[in-house]
Amino acid sequence: MSGATVELRGVTKRYGSTLAVDELSFTVPAGRICVLVGPSGCGKTTSLRMMNRLIEPTSGEILIDGQNVLHEDPVALRRRIGYVIQQVGLFPHETVAANIATVPQLLGWSRDRIRARVDELLALIGLDRNMKERYPAQLSGGERQRVGVARAMAAEPPLMLMDEPFGAVDPIVRNRLQDEFLNLQRTLGITVIFVTHDIDEAIKLGDRVAVMRTGKLVQYSPPAELLAHPADDFVAQFVGHDRALKRLGLLTVGGIELDRTIDRSRLGAAPTLSPSTSVRDALAALLVADARAAAVVDGSNYLGAITLPAIGRMLRGDDAK
Amino acid sequence: MGARPLTLFGDVARWFADPANWQGSHGIPTRILEHLELSGLAVAVAIVLAMPIALYLGHGRRGGFIAINVANIGRALPSLALLAFGLIVAIALGLGLGFWPTMFALVPLAIPPIVTNTFVAITEVDPDVVDAARGMGLAERQILARIEIPLGLPLILAGIRTAAVNVVATATLGALVAGGALGRFIVDGFALREYDQLVGGAILVALLAVATEVSFSALERRTAVPGMAAIR
Amino acid sequence: MTPNEPLVRWDWLASHAGEIGFRVGEHLELTAIAVAVGLVVAFALSFAVLRIPRLYPPVTTVTGILYTIPSLALFAFLVPYTGLSVLTAEIGLVSYTLLILIRNIVNGIRSVPSDVRDAAQGMGYTPRQILWRIELPLALAVIFAGIRIATITTIGLVTVTALIGEGGLGYFILLGMQELFSTPLLVGAVGSILFAIAADSALVLLQRALTPWARVR
Repeated sequence: MSGATVELRGVTKRYGSTLAVDELSFTVPAGRICVLVGPSGCGKTTSLRMMNRLIEPTSGEILIDGQNVLHEDPVALRRRIGYVIQQVGLFPHETVAANIATVPQLLGWSRDRIRARVDELLALIGLDRNMKERYPAQLSGGERQRVGVARAMAAEPPLMLMDEPFGAVDPIVRNRLQDEFLNLQRTLGITVIFVTHDIDEAIKLGDRVAVMRTGKLVQYSPPAELLAHPADDFVAQFVGHDRALKRLGLLTVGGIELDRTIDRSRLGAAPTLSPSTSVRDALAALLVADARAAAVVDGSNYLGAITLPAIGRMLRGDDAK
Repeated sequence: MGARPLTLFGDVARWFADPANWQGSHGIPTRILEHLELSGLAVAVAIVLAMPIALYLGHGRRGGFIAINVANIGRALPSLALLAFGLIVAIALGLGLGFWPTMFALVPLAIPPIVTNTFVAITEVDPDVVDAARGMGLAERQILARIEIPLGLPLILAGIRTAAVNVVATATLGALVAGGALGRFIVDGFALREYDQLVGGAILVALLAVATEVSFSALERRTAVPGMAAIR
Repeated sequence: MTPNEPLVRWDWLASHAGEIGFRVGEHLELTAIAVAVGLVVAFALSFAVLRIPRLYPPVTTVTGILYTIPSLALFAFLVPYTGLSVLTAEIGLVSYTLLILIRNIVNGIRSVPSDVRDAAQGMGYTPRQILWRIELPLALAVIFAGIRIATITTIGLVTVTALIGEGGLGYFILLGMQELFSTPLLVGAVGSILFAIAADSALVLLQRALTPWARVR
């Protein structure tokens, strides 16, 4: 399974005299996660629902792997695109296995192939096989979300559309689901278009983030870029006053330039960090220890020191790299 | 009995136009009055018997199982079967035919919808409102009289409407046990094969039932608190 | 029938066993035909209403008036046209099922959660597949509630058709009223109530069998 390239060209949706989506254009490379983010009513969900034609665009083109979806049969189109929504929308009268089997069944897969695929997906989402015959009402919120994702991936779609899929679960479960989902996506390499109103979720999950406001695309860039250089005041405000701090969360201490002039012996009582620690966590560790520098150690190998002044420079925006 | 649709309309019109059908103890006005009297009395007795119990249970939020099941049992009782029981009871008590057997059938028929709707009406009042009333020092009786009954009134009236429409319909059957009321025209029409009387009586009964339904619906709308969506 | 007479004369029951069996069969047949035809008509009208929502008010008004007209009056209207026949009985009985069935079918389907419908559409169900595989199964509980009420009501109304020569167990009630004889009165009245309870229980069992997902938890 590999991802599809998605390209929107001047996609517009008009309801009467109101413009819900205005000339939306962007390209999502194959195998990447693109997050549409913005305040409620900005047109992000409408944009998503035009991609599997649950909503018909007023004008513009939507290309999946170069083919204009507007020339396709909508029902056939939807069967090869995964679709997950916030309320999950599991069929309450069907078992977990039957829910997951929905699209393969619509596509006429053989019974054996469907059974094998269901088992494979259950393993992939980390659900016990004896959950197969349960009904949705017997699952926890997190389990329901996992089944929803498995159902969307059942027919190995090259593209998944997800509308606030983790919005209805509590923060701890949401965090875990996000991590699981990222792993899954990296393994499978499918393209994902993801809608959320939560900027932190967008920064955590997105390879690209599309910020929308009143139907228009305001900025389309990788999360680090979005945090470092917001396109305008709206984006700056939307990403938050702590955007510099958030940006530190995207960097690891192994990925920035460390001060090698400081000898390991001078850092006796200072914290010791691994290269995979985020710069944000490194800052926290320094503040807690009331230290000005920390040692970055990969196993027994000393890589250098990370210092408060260096982090300060990053916060002010003069990049370390 | 062969069908005579072409002349039927004229026959029925003539039956209504005949002054003889509007006079005396067998005339249309008398039969309508009998029908209203019988129905009104039956519904009134049912209200007196059923309402206090339903209010009590509803206010205490208890006995829901009974209150709801009364409705289901009520639906399983065919009206003609109730009339059969009414006849047996009336004769056993030496009360004779006509009025009493019909009455014994109509009262049990009217009770279930009144009990169920009243109970549900009271229990569905917003518990926060009741809590606030109790917190301000209203006695239980005052809570019922000033909060629960006024707020539940449209639903309570809907129960009385269902009861009344059923009673008006079933009162027609009273003619089978030598009762009066509008059923007389239909039962006699069948027996004597007089289609004008048969259809004329049917028109009157149908109009009375629809009028009952419509007037109670109007009453329900008028008792709803402005700004609150009428419940059911 | 006098106050001193026994309530039930068992010898009458014994000598009329065959006739009682026949009337029970007739009752069952009249009820089954009425509910079956009622379901077909109600489904047709409900699908029309779901497709064209502005049909709903007129449909409920007309079926509501039919439901309000007393049964005896409705049969009286029909007799001059269709005579004392099964057809007259069934037209009347079917008309009484329509309001309940249509209301429950339409409300049942409309109350299917929109996220479930959205998910089905998003995964590529055709409108027909959504109706048959999602909406109808999920509306089944509400539809069954309607079928139960319609069946019980019909069983009661079948007794009234005794006046036009049908009636099932209602025949005995009418007989008892004419002869002031309590045994047939009780056979008809108790029999029709027991029949209603039995039919309702059977429908509950059928519904349980058809909706396994409603039994969980």
